[in-house]
Amino acid sequence: MNRDEFLANVRRAAEIGRAYRVHTTEISDQAGYVGTDQDLCVKMADEVNAVGGVATVVEDQQAALERLGEILTKYRPKSALCWQHDLLERLGLTRFLEEHGVQYSQHESWSSWPTETCRETWLEADIGITSTDIAIAETGSLMVASGPGHERVVSLLPPVHVAIVGRHQIVPDLFDAVSWLREQGVDNLASNVTLISGPSKTGDIELQLTTGVHGPGHWYVILIRQADA
Amino acid sequence: MTVPDYVRHEHHEFIDASRQALDDGTLQSILGRLGDTLGARNREAWEDFEQSDQVRERARAIKDATLAELDKHLETLEASVLARGGQVHWAADGEAACQAVLGVLQTHEARMVVKSKSMTSEEIHLNKALEQAGVEVVETDFGEYIIQVAGHRPSHIVGPALHMSSQDVTEVLNQVSEEPLSNDRIELAAFARRQLRSRFAAADVGITGVNFAVAETGSIVLISNEGNARLTTSLPRVHIAIMGIEKVIPALADLPFFLKVLARAATGQKLSIYTSIVQGKRTPGELDGAEEFHLVILDNGRSQILQSPLRESLFCIRCGACLNACPVYRNVGGHAYGGVYAGPIGAVLTPLYNGLEDHHHLPHASSLCGACQAACPVKIQIPDMLVKLREQLHTSNVATGRIETLAYRGWAIMLRRPRIYRWVTWVISRTLGRVKRRSGWLRRLPGQLAGWTQHRDFPAPAPQRFRDWWKEQDL
Repeated sequence: MNRDEFLANVRRAAEIGRAYRVHTTEISDQAGYVGTDQDLCVKMADEVNAVGGVATVVEDQQAALERLGEILTKYRPKSALCWQHDLLERLGLTRFLEEHGVQYSQHESWSSWPTETCRETWLEADIGITSTDIAIAETGSLMVASGPGHERVVSLLPPVHVAIVGRHQIVPDLFDAVSWLREQGVDNLASNVTLISGPSKTGDIELQLTTGVHGPGHWYVILIRQADA
Repeated sequence: MTVPDYVRHEHHEFIDASRQALDDGTLQSILGRLGDTLGARNREAWEDFEQSDQVRERARAIKDATLAELDKHLETLEASVLARGGQVHWAADGEAACQAVLGVLQTHEARMVVKSKSMTSEEIHLNKALEQAGVEVVETDFGEYIIQVAGHRPSHIVGPALHMSSQDVTEVLNQVSEEPLSNDRIELAAFARRQLRSRFAAADVGITGVNFAVAETGSIVLISNEGNARLTTSLPRVHIAIMGIEKVIPALADLPFFLKVLARAATGQKLSIYTSIVQGKRTPGELDGAEEFHLVILDNGRSQILQSPLRESLFCIRCGACLNACPVYRNVGGHAYGGVYAGPIGAVLTPLYNGLEDHHHLPHASSLCGACQAACPVKIQIPDMLVKLREQLHTSNVATGRIETLAYRGWAIMLRRPRIYRWVTWVISRTLGRVKRRSGWLRRLPGQLAGWTQHRDFPAPAPQRFRDWWKEQDL
């Protein structure tokens, strides 16, 4: 059966099937909008903690770096994968990692390396550091869009993922995040947009939650109140 | 661990397999916890989410409206996928879908593929087709991986290895582990992570299902808690996604209504850990993500269902909530049902996909209590559909033997003629009713009726007819 026959068949079926449409009532476009009355940073942090992540709210960039330093001290990573992102550059992330003796790499170097070298580096890295495009307070989610400098592997392959997020990036509800996505325009959507809402989990053995099967088992979110300065 | 046949094979008698499942102590202890874990989380999620009812209604309305013009939405989807450099394959049945996948694999001379969990690929027996063509298939969802090594069928839509204890899992994984593994869940998960990482790194092609396909953007939405769907779409060079025609939704704006109910129904989470919205292949300058994207769109009997009174079954978003809620599933587990889809929705889908006559027990594998409908994120009226299937069975005469047909005919004659009715009830009350006056129960019924009393007693007729009792009252 070719494409046209396939679709003609579906068209016939859809027409006949209209006799069996179900009754539904009119529901508003905003139904299910939860949002929050709370401070966005506080709500976001609460939800991140609720899904098994570790969130910290800090005042400024300096405090964010201090918090990152604590995480580095805890895991003692040898190598890090990083996003290239305005917020991380303003923090001076790469210099900070150098000072802590962590080998880092990012898009700039990867784009000139052979594919195999990239892959090895990615698969062996101990920690991944990103920012986000949007954070959703209602669900404690990060919405990360892929692109050069925003590689998907950074938040996926290493066992520890740290996201550094500015207050201005947080929206109250999933609806707001999808609106943001729609504003990008259908043709300009990143090839991959992922909502991350916790450390990797599985319930596959006797329904007991176990973390870190495929994605990072340790998930940190550092929320900076004044990051746009 | 000895495994009964019905765990591995799709075709078997429901009654017989159920009996074995009820005798399986391990299975019973796992199923016994289901209502207090996943089932309870689902109920709490609806309670905690104030407007859940409206969102579910809206999701339902979107499905209904989309199906009414399904061909148009599929064409839009195709155009969007093509615009982003993807390729679309139309597959009328399972075989055509497997052929489409094999075609892509052959172009790339792929020897190994990684897969993230897809019920649709189970439905078309993709793994078997690929293995016959000499391709190694690695399931990467932890539960799927376990049952692949064990050679079992999935027993639950979201937790395929739900039927196994951690001891069973250890035994299975020890078959592929060089070092002996302990019963520790964390150690088992870490082992699977190590094993599968090397497969992800080496695979040429990643195959996924599709939770939702957004027509206007050509997006494939993939939802997982483990992250294996992300790995499957990020590391291999080629990504093939397989979807049934009913998975399409018109616009990105429709997506939140489904995301807000799917995870709540499945596991009680607000959102699953990872929700990926994939727009085909990577864009220029990107260093990860597939370089080639193929979308296989499958009919396989769905257009038949679309034009039938059971059209609503196409609303299903495969969350598994009806399984967790169902008193029958929670006693017999997933394998007893046969077919690919278990539980209440499986009792509807399996007869539709694989033939009602071969699966005539399934529409009866329900007490019609309605717990499934209450749990469903798109409020599918499953009990109604089971009744419709029973009705079809009755007219097709498959499940009803000659004697049963005769008995109903006799019953009909009796009810239409008051005099005969009066006489028959008088005789019965005077005989059986008086003999069984003391206990009030019949322990065994004769002949074909014996099935009724196999696991319960039948109430004996009263020793006096109601009409006689009524006359005696001083009213």
